[in-house]
Amino acid sequence: MADSPKDKIKYGLLKFIDISGFKVLDPPVRLIFGEDPQKQVRDIGRFMLLPIIFVLLCILTWHLIAPTHKTKSGAVPTPGGVIAAYGENKRFDEREEEKEDDFTVQGAEREERIAAVKARLVELEKESVRLNEVAAATEKEAKGEMDAVTSPITERMSALRDASRKEKKERAEAMTALAKRIAAKEADPSELLALVQKDRQANDAAKEELRVLKDRLEEILSDPPAKIKASQLAANKVADEVQHYKKRLDYLTSGNRELKGQELMAKQKEAEEKLLTAGDPKVAVREAKKVVSSQEKVESTAEQEYPRTATIFWQTKRSIATVIVGFLLAAAVAIPLGIMCGLNKVVMACLTPIISIFRPVSPVVWLLIFQIIIGAFFPDPATHPLFVFLNQPEWLGFIPNPVAFLQTNPAMIFSACTVAMCALWPALVNTALGVSAIDKDHMNVARVLKLGFWSRLFKIVIPSSLPLVFAGLRISLGVGWMVLIAAEALSSSDGLGKFVWDEYQNGSSQSFANIILACFIVGIIGFFLDRVMIILQRLVSFDDGSATA
Amino acid sequence: MSYLEIENTSVSFGPESNRTHVLSDINLSVKENEFVAVIGFSGSGKSTLMSLLAGLQQPTSGEVRMDGKVITEPGPDLGMMFQNYSLLPWLTVNENIELAVKTVFPSLTKGERTDKIRHYVEMVKLGHAGTRYPHELSGGMRQRASLARTLSLDPKVLLLDEPLSALDALTRSELQDQILNIWETDKRTVVMITNDVDEAVLMADRIVPLTMGPSATLAEEFVVNMERPRDRRTLNDHPEFMRLKTEITLFMMGLNQESKDAAQDLVPMPEVRPKDFALPKAQPRFKNKSSIAGNAA
Repeated sequence: MADSPKDKIKYGLLKFIDISGFKVLDPPVRLIFGEDPQKQVRDIGRFMLLPIIFVLLCILTWHLIAPTHKTKSGAVPTPGGVIAAYGENKRFDEREEEKEDDFTVQGAEREERIAAVKARLVELEKESVRLNEVAAATEKEAKGEMDAVTSPITERMSALRDASRKEKKERAEAMTALAKRIAAKEADPSELLALVQKDRQANDAAKEELRVLKDRLEEILSDPPAKIKASQLAANKVADEVQHYKKRLDYLTSGNRELKGQELMAKQKEAEEKLLTAGDPKVAVREAKKVVSSQEKVESTAEQEYPRTATIFWQTKRSIATVIVGFLLAAAVAIPLGIMCGLNKVVMACLTPIISIFRPVSPVVWLLIFQIIIGAFFPDPATHPLFVFLNQPEWLGFIPNPVAFLQTNPAMIFSACTVAMCALWPALVNTALGVSAIDKDHMNVARVLKLGFWSRLFKIVIPSSLPLVFAGLRISLGVGWMVLIAAEALSSSDGLGKFVWDEYQNGSSQSFANIILACFIVGIIGFFLDRVMIILQRLVSFDDGSATA
Repeated sequence: MSYLEIENTSVSFGPESNRTHVLSDINLSVKENEFVAVIGFSGSGKSTLMSLLAGLQQPTSGEVRMDGKVITEPGPDLGMMFQNYSLLPWLTVNENIELAVKTVFPSLTKGERTDKIRHYVEMVKLGHAGTRYPHELSGGMRQRASLARTLSLDPKVLLLDEPLSALDALTRSELQDQILNIWETDKRTVVMITNDVDEAVLMADRIVPLTMGPSATLAEEFVVNMERPRDRRTLNDHPEFMRLKTEITLFMMGLNQESKDAAQDLVPMPEVRPKDFALPKAQPRFKNKSSIAGNAA
């Protein structure tokens, strides 16, 4: 290859694409650098455009089919619905952030913000009132239209009811008459039986007719005209906004951390003064107690964090953190064990029964076992040093704690352990395989050089088995991610799984769309985790030409 | 005075009832700074013989000695150059050599080590490729890197296990010259295994044929009475070269025939002939004769 700077960029890019496994991007890059344009255009058409069209077709099919299937939780959401759900979740998340900010803001900035929020609130309330009026008017107007549709049905229904009542009465009379004749031996009892049967059939038919009408009426009523929906939606949206701003105002004033602290401090001071001037020993004791307790309160308020509601984004972060912890645990156990298995046949023989028996065990069982075991380690998680350490806002008083926002708790630990337990096996088996499949010639080199055990391990065994180890780790991470979501759903441990489960349980109009949104998020993150592992695997493998990168 | 010695050595494996004898009753003695070639057919146990010399394998009976001491384990004194290079693929050429130098000469300073590595890399003319990985090199370059690594151990004995058999003819002769050159400037004891008679005659002081396995043993040796340095260009006119080449080739072919005869005795082939066998009579027909003729022309 020529070594002009342009070529350098080109081959650098191509190499990166190759390592990251995004082979699809190869033709466009080559096209940009003008290499064999005809072939590249053909490749782009075949390997980029066609797949994109196919995916779009799938989405279109989804869009068309979804609304036709009515479920208890409403119609299956369309792609648009899922995107809207994303927007909704995003807004929710932003609002939480605003409130958190309001909770901690201090001094002049707080005053400014109060003014801004108040001004906005006035506007919003006005808007809300207007929209409510619009909504009411629209509803009234639409009601007329609806009535035009529904009134024939209701009329028909009442007519039917009247008619059937009348007929029923007539039939009853006919039956009594017949019974009398039977009693007088003028008629056969079988005639009465036939009459009763007829009566029943007639009743059923009338009921069925009524039911059909009623269903139609309900259908019409349950699906109000689009303009009502739209106006209500607009009104609700603003009302929601109003609620949010009221809440913000709350956090800026009485709910603000600084204000709360000041209030408590004032109380403390007051109690201290009283203590100093108290003549009565009883009063003095009471005031001293007050001082101590308000001191404690002041301290705890200063450390208090905003009680953030879990949004889907936070849950996602937490799931990722959990799967990484679990994965690292698995790797930390699997790689040394696997190396020992690969190096020593006796160790392999010892571990084989354990691997064979525990590998097929369902993650659900591990989850329950770990829940019990881990739970016993932390009888009081709130004061346990591990969690205190992991959740404090700053380490040693000045290093910002990057994992504080995760709110680590025993649930996270046992979820991570479950992930580790299930992700362990592929990594273990692959490591053992990689170590035992080491080239005999490489071992001979080690023997000729008289390498000691450790340098043999680190210079020969581990480098040579790394590609297989990473192939195993890649499978492990994939398994771990799948297991984690199930484990979180089952144990209500924070994360995407819990999000899905909560949505399933609470059954609002948005739930179904949220679940499908979560499905996509899980998939996309799984995809990226896999990519990362592919890149790592490519970087450590030495035979495919990418070891230099 | 022999420096490297194999005495009454046999190698066999498997259980008593079904024992395979690879080598039996091997006797060989190599003088200091002598270049000995062992020539044999593939599968005759050449590599086993090499493993014995390198200490990678212990004989079933008999002794292998270097400088009077029995070889019990491999070590840097017995510099083995493997048939398939055995370079560590995750290390560059320099790093491969560095690993060897670092392990065998731990007392060297960093500068001395770098100098040593450069010395050997340049000795095999790989100076430009020191930072490349083995998979980026051609077969010949890999073998040269392997040679450099082996030489960097500063071994007392150089063991070359079919070092050039995987290379093409041109690269092969180039490397033969290089190895000879290095050996002539820095004499040491060399045992080379090969299956190429020309190579053996060109390079060695003595050529020892290995008979066909199983139970291979060393046959009568051929001494190469040719002055050094030997010139490849005039070699084909050298009467001694031609004589040795013919003699050894005939001897080896005889061995091959013998073993084939022996094999026939062991497994009698059934007398089967096709009963009605005739070549198809139809002639191939071409649609367009002129085009065929045109192609031929």
